[in-house]
Amino acid sequence: MTLKNKVRTKFVRHLGKGFRDDETTIRIYSRDLADLPPITRLFYNNTADAVVLPSTTEEVKKLYELATENKVPVTPRSGGTAGFGGCVTYKRGIIVDVKGLESELLIEPFDQSVLVSPATVISELQRKLNLQGFSLCSYPSSFHSATIGGWIAHGGYGVGSAKYGGALDQILALDVVLPTGEIKKITEKEDLELFVGSNGTLGLITRIQLKIKFDIPLKQFGCTFDSPLQLAKGLKEISEIDPYSIWFFNPKHVEEINQSFGYSLPERYVIIVSKEISYEEEENEFNLSFNQTVRNAGGQILDRRYIINIWNIRFKTFAMLKEYKDYLTNEIILPIETSSKYLQKLSSKIDGQIHLEGEMIGKTHYSLLMFLYFEEKLGPFKKLRVNLDLYKNVLKGIKVKGYPYTTGLWFSGYYQAIFGKERYKKYKEFKKIVDPKGISNPGKVIPPRFKLFPVISLKTALKLASRFML
Amino acid sequence: MSSLQGWQVDVLDVAQKCVYCGYCSLCPTYKELKWEVNHPRGILDQIKLYYSEEIKDKLRNDVSKQLFESVFLCTACRACEDICIVDLPLLKVWEQIRQEAFKRGRWNPKLLSLYNRVKDFFNIFGLPTEERVSWAALSGMNMSRRTQKKAPLAYFVGCQASYSGKMGSIAESVVKILRKAKLNFTILGTEERCCGSPIFLAGGFSVGKTFAKHNLDQFKKLGVKKVVTACAGCYRAFKIVYPRVLGEEWDIEVVHISELANELFEEKKLKVINPIKEKITFKDPCELVRHCGLSDAPREVIKNIPNVRYEELPSNREESLCCGGGGLLKLNDEELVGQVNSHLISEIQYSEANIVVNGCPTCLDTIQQGIKQREMDVEVIDIAELVSRMVEGKK
Ligand SMILES: Cc1cc2nc3c(=O)[nH]c(=O)nc-3n(C[C@H](O)[C@H](O)[C@H](O)COP(=O)(O)OP(=O)(O)OC[C@H]3O[C@@H](n4cnc5c(N)ncnc54)[C@H](O)[C@@H]3O)c2cc1C
Repeated sequence: MTLKNKVRTKFVRHLGKGFRDDETTIRIYSRDLADLPPITRLFYNNTADAVVLPSTTEEVKKLYELATENKVPVTPRSGGTAGFGGCVTYKRGIIVDVKGLESELLIEPFDQSVLVSPATVISELQRKLNLQGFSLCSYPSSFHSATIGGWIAHGGYGVGSAKYGGALDQILALDVVLPTGEIKKITEKEDLELFVGSNGTLGLITRIQLKIKFDIPLKQFGCTFDSPLQLAKGLKEISEIDPYSIWFFNPKHVEEINQSFGYSLPERYVIIVSKEISYEEEENEFNLSFNQTVRNAGGQILDRRYIINIWNIRFKTFAMLKEYKDYLTNEIILPIETSSKYLQKLSSKIDGQIHLEGEMIGKTHYSLLMFLYFEEKLGPFKKLRVNLDLYKNVLKGIKVKGYPYTTGLWFSGYYQAIFGKERYKKYKEFKKIVDPKGISNPGKVIPPRFKLFPVISLKTALKLASRFML
Repeated sequence: MSSLQGWQVDVLDVAQKCVYCGYCSLCPTYKELKWEVNHPRGILDQIKLYYSEEIKDKLRNDVSKQLFESVFLCTACRACEDICIVDLPLLKVWEQIRQEAFKRGRWNPKLLSLYNRVKDFFNIFGLPTEERVSWAALSGMNMSRRTQKKAPLAYFVGCQASYSGKMGSIAESVVKILRKAKLNFTILGTEERCCGSPIFLAGGFSVGKTFAKHNLDQFKKLGVKKVVTACAGCYRAFKIVYPRVLGEEWDIEVVHISELANELFEEKKLKVINPIKEKITFKDPCELVRHCGLSDAPREVIKNIPNVRYEELPSNREESLCCGGGGLLKLNDEELVGQVNSHLISEIQYSEANIVVNGCPTCLDTIQQGIKQREMDVEVIDIAELVSRMVEGKK
């Protein structure tokens, strides 16, 4: 759709300088982390009619009221660092750049919580908390660019999730503007969980209250395993000794880390464990139990001299892309119990060129990031083909009880696989009530119709494409 | 690498190498403006569009307007390049796009007038060359015996300390330090020309090079082996830009006054006789810390004060906040400078310091404005002024 003049005028009147629809702006907002080849435009309409930059909740409220009244799709966008198409339009309409929201940050030391604007970049929030002796519990490794609101809406996990869980586990309350324009404060767990992973389909998060913790120093420990099966055993047992984070790589990725950052890690499955440690005795105690656990699981302890400062590359793994001309990535969540064979197969995939980086997101599941690096700039067809190949590998993961990281656009239709039947039912009921005209980020979470052949859904179209185009 | 080719990068290639991680969202002007078109990553996307063969002229024109506007809103603080995960030479890209804007006649009039002033009068204020040493007369110093004299060390005063009344006693202080340490030094006097920084920042390679050449010839003529400056902009020009534009011809050692003072304290050629009691903080100028990696020397200097009351700003060293005054932003959007600066002023307030020490005339001026606006009782001085107080006592 293209905005009718009368409708456009209403938005311009409402937002003034916070409304832009020049072609440059629209083009610049037509992507997220995944810059997909033009051929994918057959699937969706990634250029918006306009981009808006509201600064207050009241402005957001009026914006949604106008959008509902005039049936204009609204797509929220924050850091634009997720690669699932969640913040890219499917049916044109308006992109709301959440970064415009006024900054807000109030630390409540006694409650151990912080009240914050969704547009706050994680590193900025963490820095301000650190200044007062506090820290976020868990956060994504897109530390310097993702926003706290985007992370919640996308339903993320990250550093510290082994101990503190994902986005959902940190939230105490959310202020949201529903698509109808109603402003609501949400505090009940079962309502909060609807917004985590909603990818902006239930309206816009305008304020967040998060749990925080004391800023306890982290110490790193490392170990290696020879096979995915052993790795799984190691992950399971290490999870039991209460670490802060469990981060691991496949041998291919280890090779790259060695080259890029000058380490000499053994090219096996490497696990880096981080533990909150305040006292030396604690460190000795943990060291002992870590060593024992690793040995019991059949792994080898990495001398700590091998991993000096390895935590410093926690937010820099994209630096490895420096030596390459192109890269493609996808992500899946897998249960430890059932995924070692899958991991084995994946590692040997694509001539053993696949890089895998994982993070435990609790005691039973881990997120797995798959990377492919290329020495040449990929042409549109190759890019599409390899993307579909990675997509197919995520679908294969579903067969071993895994699920896509989030829905966004590319995995719309997998909400149930991610969150279960009950929650999907609740989500659909809630969506029907709060978004009667379906204006809130259409095409995301619930699979849209395939643009070229509307009888089938995008989910089916992608599934077929990943099966037959390869 | 003294040719234009050696100086330039393939901007399209750089833009295409961006991995879109978004880490450059820490750009201080993007943080204020908040539109993705002002985000360094968004500017790279505009560059891809601008140089794309597939787009129509109308779109190219549209893109160029936005692109040229965006690159001139850069403070050249280099935070984007420092954090870039794939090490893209972003500053060079912004400079080249500014150059492209110049070629297309798209500079704003204020910028063009600065460019012409520097070109015609050899200083950023467009003031007569004879006035270059009037700072000496104003501070009651006789510099005639030092001017254009053969010496191994030259003090390069810079346009701001030479001409601007706002710069307090920077030049006077440097001279006092050098005299106190009994160093044999010279100044170029009316033969000193702007280091060329504003011209290079605006993207003017060839004109800038004539300035570099002139200053080098002057140093050579006087047998200068080492140059000291109290201006972060001049320091950066000498350290980074001159070697690029002049190649091996540029063989002069360059030190910032904080480095020299640190050496002089270590060698006991300077002694503290006035132990400053006020609480001090230091604001790292972007051009010193991020461009040139200089952050220890000023701190070492300050440490010489017995029982010093020193407090770091929350964002310090490589992470220090930009004051907003660099990159010629003042000529493009004064209001935006104030917005960027306000975060730094808040940090200064948070530190509860009575004196903010600095090493860059542009920062000094910008911070002073911010402090005045908030009616704070804080003194802003240059590190040279601090050292002079330490070794001479405050008048
Ligand atoms: C280097 C790198 C490392 C990464 N590491 C991790 C990681 O460890 N863990 C992880 O989970 N992800 C990771 N990611 C992916 C991504 O950064 C995160 O998912 C991030 O949390 C997304 O935040 P954002 O602000 O960029 O959101 P966006 O990409 O802008 O948006 C994400 C989704 O949320 C919606 N949305 C955004 N803001 C709001 C709002 N205020 N209200 C309602 N809906 C909204 C959007 O419509 C979209 O659907 C990484 C990415 C990069 C580039």
